[in-house]
Amino acid sequence: MNSSNGLQLCRRAFLGRGVSGLGLLALNSLLQRRLMAEVARGVVNPLHHPAKAKRVIFLYQAGGPSHLETFDYKPTLAKMHAKPMPESLTKGQQIAQLQNSQLLCFGPQYGFNKFGKSGQEICELFPHIGSVADDLCIVRSMWTEQINHDPAHTLMNTGSIVTGRPSMGSWVLYGLGSEAENLPGFVVLVSSGKGGQMQPIAARQWSSGFLPSRFQGVKFNSVGDPVLHIRTPPGLSENLQRDSIESVNALNRVENQTAQDPEILTRIAQYEMAFRMQASVPDLLDVSKEPSQTLELYGAQPGDGSFASNCLLARKLAERGVRFIQVYHRDWDHHSGIKANVAIKAEEVDRATAALIQDLKQRGMLDDTIVVWGGEFGRTPMSQGGDGRDHHIKGFSFMLAGGGIKGGTTYGSTDDFGYAAQENPVAVPDLHATMLHLLGIDHQRFIVKFQGLDARLTGIAGQVVSGILA
Amino acid sequence: MRWVWITLALGLVCQRSDGADSQVRFNRDIRPIMSDTCFRCHGPDQRARMAGLRLDLRDEALKKTKSGVTPIVPGAPDQSAIVDRIFATNSAKIMPPQFAHKELTGAQKETIRRWVAEGASYEKHWSYEPVKRPAVPDVRDSKVPIRNPIDAFVMERLRREGLEPSPEADRRTLLRRVTLDLTGIPPTPEEMQAFLADKAANAYENVVDQLLSSPRFAEMQTVRWLDAVRYADSAGFHGDNLWPAWPYRDYVLRAFRDNKPFDAFTREQLAGDLLPNATTEQKIASAYNRLNRASAEGGLQPKEYLAKYGADRVRTLSTVWLGSTMGCAECHDHKFDPFTSRDFYSMKAFFADIRETGLINDRGASAWGAKLLLPSPEQKVRLASLKTRIDAAQAELKLESERLFERRWEWEDRALEAYKSGDLAWRYQHPVSASTLHGAKLSVYNDEPIDSDYYMKGSLHSERKRGDGLVVASGPNPDNETYVVTFKPGPGAWTALGIDVFQDESLPGNRFARGSDRFVLTEVEAELSPSQKLPFVLATTRGFGETPENPPMAAIDGNPKTGWGVGFGEQNNPFLALRFADKVRTTADSVITVRLHHDSDLRRATIGRFRVALSQSEHSWPEDGDSAKKSAVAETSKSDAATLNVSVERGLPPAVLAALEKHEDDRSAAEKKAVLDHFSWATPELQPLTVRLAKLQAERDLLESAIPRVIYTERTKPRITRVLPRSNWMDETGAIVQPAVPAFLGTVKTDGRRATRLDLANWIVSPSNPLTARAFVNRQWRQFFGTGLSRTLEDLGSQGEWPTHPELLDWLAAEFVQPTSGARHAWDVKHIVRTIVISHTYRQSSLTNPSLSERDPDNRLLARQSRFRVEAETVHDIALAVSGLLVERFGGPSVRPYQPDGYLAAINFPKREYSASHGDDLHRRALYTQWQRTFLHPALLTFDAPTREECGVNRVNSNTPLQALELLNDPIFVEAARVFGANILKSGGARWEEQLNWAFGRALNRAPRDEERRILTDLYQRSVASFESGESDAKQLLSVGETPVPAGLEAKQVAAMGLVARAILNLHETITRN
Repeated sequence: MNSSNGLQLCRRAFLGRGVSGLGLLALNSLLQRRLMAEVARGVVNPLHHPAKAKRVIFLYQAGGPSHLETFDYKPTLAKMHAKPMPESLTKGQQIAQLQNSQLLCFGPQYGFNKFGKSGQEICELFPHIGSVADDLCIVRSMWTEQINHDPAHTLMNTGSIVTGRPSMGSWVLYGLGSEAENLPGFVVLVSSGKGGQMQPIAARQWSSGFLPSRFQGVKFNSVGDPVLHIRTPPGLSENLQRDSIESVNALNRVENQTAQDPEILTRIAQYEMAFRMQASVPDLLDVSKEPSQTLELYGAQPGDGSFASNCLLARKLAERGVRFIQVYHRDWDHHSGIKANVAIKAEEVDRATAALIQDLKQRGMLDDTIVVWGGEFGRTPMSQGGDGRDHHIKGFSFMLAGGGIKGGTTYGSTDDFGYAAQENPVAVPDLHATMLHLLGIDHQRFIVKFQGLDARLTGIAGQVVSGILA
Repeated sequence: MRWVWITLALGLVCQRSDGADSQVRFNRDIRPIMSDTCFRCHGPDQRARMAGLRLDLRDEALKKTKSGVTPIVPGAPDQSAIVDRIFATNSAKIMPPQFAHKELTGAQKETIRRWVAEGASYEKHWSYEPVKRPAVPDVRDSKVPIRNPIDAFVMERLRREGLEPSPEADRRTLLRRVTLDLTGIPPTPEEMQAFLADKAANAYENVVDQLLSSPRFAEMQTVRWLDAVRYADSAGFHGDNLWPAWPYRDYVLRAFRDNKPFDAFTREQLAGDLLPNATTEQKIASAYNRLNRASAEGGLQPKEYLAKYGADRVRTLSTVWLGSTMGCAECHDHKFDPFTSRDFYSMKAFFADIRETGLINDRGASAWGAKLLLPSPEQKVRLASLKTRIDAAQAELKLESERLFERRWEWEDRALEAYKSGDLAWRYQHPVSASTLHGAKLSVYNDEPIDSDYYMKGSLHSERKRGDGLVVASGPNPDNETYVVTFKPGPGAWTALGIDVFQDESLPGNRFARGSDRFVLTEVEAELSPSQKLPFVLATTRGFGETPENPPMAAIDGNPKTGWGVGFGEQNNPFLALRFADKVRTTADSVITVRLHHDSDLRRATIGRFRVALSQSEHSWPEDGDSAKKSAVAETSKSDAATLNVSVERGLPPAVLAALEKHEDDRSAAEKKAVLDHFSWATPELQPLTVRLAKLQAERDLLESAIPRVIYTERTKPRITRVLPRSNWMDETGAIVQPAVPAFLGTVKTDGRRATRLDLANWIVSPSNPLTARAFVNRQWRQFFGTGLSRTLEDLGSQGEWPTHPELLDWLAAEFVQPTSGARHAWDVKHIVRTIVISHTYRQSSLTNPSLSERDPDNRLLARQSRFRVEAETVHDIALAVSGLLVERFGGPSVRPYQPDGYLAAINFPKREYSASHGDDLHRRALYTQWQRTFLHPALLTFDAPTREECGVNRVNSNTPLQALELLNDPIFVEAARVFGANILKSGGARWEEQLNWAFGRALNRAPRDEERRILTDLYQRSVASFESGESDAKQLLSVGETPVPAGLEAKQVAAMGLVARAILNLHETITRN
């Protein structure tokens, strides 16, 4: 075959458009199959049991949102404001910055309203979230083990405090594979706003740990280049970039005639995927073409990199088959000035969170998408410095909605002070087990060999929280 | 049924080393099965043990249990309970039980049955047996050369498996392979020519010896060692700030270059500080103990973090030196290996003497705890001389101050009066214009309102107020910038200029700067129009947030590279007071122009918001930088707004003011000193002495901060170490333990003295520890074949993989510790590497064939060489070496190659923007890249380099679309391609054919095939057409990267050839060794 003809053919095959399909080189179709198989199939195949949901959108509120100003209504704490905390609750417990200070009750800074038919109690700062109350399951009895941000994030994401474990998005992608053709199966978006100390988040929070790195989360930037090096170098036309990639692949094919190395075939497939990503990702991440009522619904301004924009992007990514989307929003670390600051955060997240749930619902996607909202820990019912709250691990709240979640319910409770989870406590591994369960995975059978151990996302613990399942 | 077992058993042949008909061996055949399926409940962990049954020890397994059955009756499988249970079909009876989610295959069951029938003999786990040099098999009639015992072991196994070894690779492939493996850089065409032309019998051996003596060999080995000891340039937790560790990296480089015996290497790292008369080199090595991640997060619980640091050290030590997963024993006795929880904490106790705190400061003088300064001889001399001169200047100033202090009452009255009348206060100016030299936009807010967001006591305050002279930078954000501000002060006589820098949450760099992690004002100039220079003599600040490398005097020292800067502060805004050499007299029309230069090497260390102020008094102390206070003053003095006066302290330090308001006899010693110091600073007669001292101190600060330093180990009284039940650091009920090595491996003899890290190191390299040599040579093997002899480099324990060639592994371990020939000393790293690469096994062709691929897809039997992608650093180094960009320099501070903007945006405390290096440092080998743990440089991360947050000895090797994007589009690879393209044109000859030959020779060490020529010719022609038609823009492409475009070549041609070069650099073959 004449090489330039070969190239032409490859080029058309590559773009995958306007070609009947039968014209593809045999090699190429083999490649396509290999790639698709690699991308699409997870190791849990078939699923352990029928899945309720196909994907997860995790709205990660980093910094530790106060449960007492969001989802956990505590009238008793309000009455006890400025009085000493009962020592029976706090004695011998871990505290962070309040070490060696007097522990005084600090009442909720805002009122709560009942929302929806279900009458769920939600802080008055979140009327939009309230408007979808009947779709939500509020868990008031979360608890965690780690009282500082970094280890607490690590536990929430990987189920372990030892660095080097895969994050939950990687586990899920590894287990289920991806349905996205031109996108990574696990995407991370990060935004920050105002009104709190902006705690750092390490890239290890979306690392694939000991799993192969193709399962790691890929961070999309909402400002600047959406994916690192996704743009063709300056001065090169798209045609010339495509010609270059085709030449690389043609040369690799020549080499493979001698080497017979499957890694070369994978490399060729990955260059094709890279080209498709170049062609599709920037467009996908450009929300400016969204209808104005959609932008309005979320409260997003194109290019602002806000939580609202990221919620909208999350929906778009979900539509394109991305398996796990983690939307980090930072600055929830309210050691002081919590009253003013939590109001700022509420304004940033309230409308967008509700919009995402509504939007998914009207597209018929809420049924098979799990939406999770929460942070790495909660905040103390005791005051810090008279107007703030310290880190708190014994009890805090999460909110879930969507695929297989029982809407309109409040699950579990903390004591009257909002200090410790009391009724139906939910540990971090329980949350993981439940999430996996809804995705069709039995967490106890989802095992990866590591350092001689059968490693599980849920470690040696974790129980499916059946009380929140529809 | 029986037939099925036999078929399945045949499948095991590949793992069995001595044919199907010989005896079942415990270590090889039984332990892997039992470890995976039985030991969890019937193994070493006492608390997890069920039915009181233990199967990992023979004596225990032969005892009758409480329920009256005997687990194993040697020779009698029918009477052995375990055989009964594993073959059971009843779900209540079957072992392993269903809840364990473990199933034995038919073959595994049969193997166990046979083993019991053959007498159930146990073996100690192979890696815990002493290393004995095994006999070398006799393979006299081998078809391939037996160059050393490695070949004998490998060929003997191949023969048993019925496989043929491969012939030696062709000489091009061989030289490329060994050069990449040993140095990480491909051979040059000249080196290739020389090797091909060298017909000597030992030509290959000679090349190997040259490569082993190259500093590049040390660089290559260092990369692997740094992964293992998790070396990084940043602390890893919280703010992940940079710490001084690179001198340790250089120690490792020197150790490999000089072939330091591995036992000494071990001793120096674990206990360099404890060696008698420890040298500087040995103390630097002890930095090893400090490489664990460290946290500066306020609110952390120190005990918890000390527990984390200690546990990390045990995990790392056990992986690196013992090839063991002792980390499991942090919470409970090991499930599969005989490590107890007590062993874990006893090991941790060795490190209890390291001076450290739970919260480790990441800024200021005490940052990172113990640091060793490493001045050059010249720096030492200069520092000593400066110290003498500073002492003298201080003494003189003190003397003069005390002499003049006789007049203090007069001065005190004057100062207090000036303060009270407001004369001392700074006069904030309303600029009439503000512009820049490099494109940034400056906006002046005088009466206009402006939003600001600032921190006070850790929480954000937002307000909208009239700007009152605030200058705000926005728009284009160049790396360096100069601000030019003019203002009309009105009639007056001025003594000083003030620069008040304002934090704002909108600023990406530490709330002060428009990038970087600090602002750096490299020079301030002032001028009275028309063109009368107004020189400064003294620069003063209140000194918060400053680091010694950015002293205030550096802003007026005429050196464009030094400057005043502030790194981190949450509440205070820095204020720089600059004293004019002479009083500046102005009239109603006078215009003063101030230039603020930001020319440091730090990118975007440019101030975001500031005001300028003047003082008319002798002398106004720098303002307090508290925005909130300032804001409050502005609020209450609305009516005075026209005076521009928002000076909160009105020119006097609060402590001095408080003292001055008291009678001298009522002042405390501190107050007296405060008054004396301020008097020295403010009194005009003392100015020459004050200035001289300030200059000397700044010089010293700059010198001191230029002295290399390294975190290292300082010894202190050992802390008490307890067993922490389930690793709970709050639980103090656990037993107190003394330093000890794992009990089943022996003891350290100390005659009752507390064992030290040095004792530990000595034990590690003693014959009584069988693990270290095995773990090390197994890791070395991976470098040259892609997989270890045991695949699980990090685990030679029960759950680790039984080695494919156990005798070979032991022979290598023995040869490492006690070389038989050709080595300089025991524990000789170069000797073991040389032995491996000299072997025929290593030299084989990597080509495979369908039947071999089917039989041994992962090449574990070594009937050929392996093909694998080179590691992240080598991907980078190949591109730079081939293109001609590589700058080789051995060691030195870490460097910062290009990195996408915003990559560090999720980091805080402080916020910072990455600033790439310039010049040579952009093109160093990748191992020198600044290793930022929480956000590792993406070029490295994408190609599977570890973040080094945890110890890692086994990199994965992935193949992803992000790697394609990286090689295609990252500026460093685009720059390499265009420079390579230019070099092809300059040096590759005149004709296209020759040029392609030249390019292939450099990148791939071979000539192009016809098909490849056609493809690249096509690409070249299409590229030229695209550049000529204007569809693509050659100039833009050639602007990528800092390297200048060579003169005398046509841009379109260079760009088109650059694309050909880029295609070559992107080839799978280019980044593969085979």
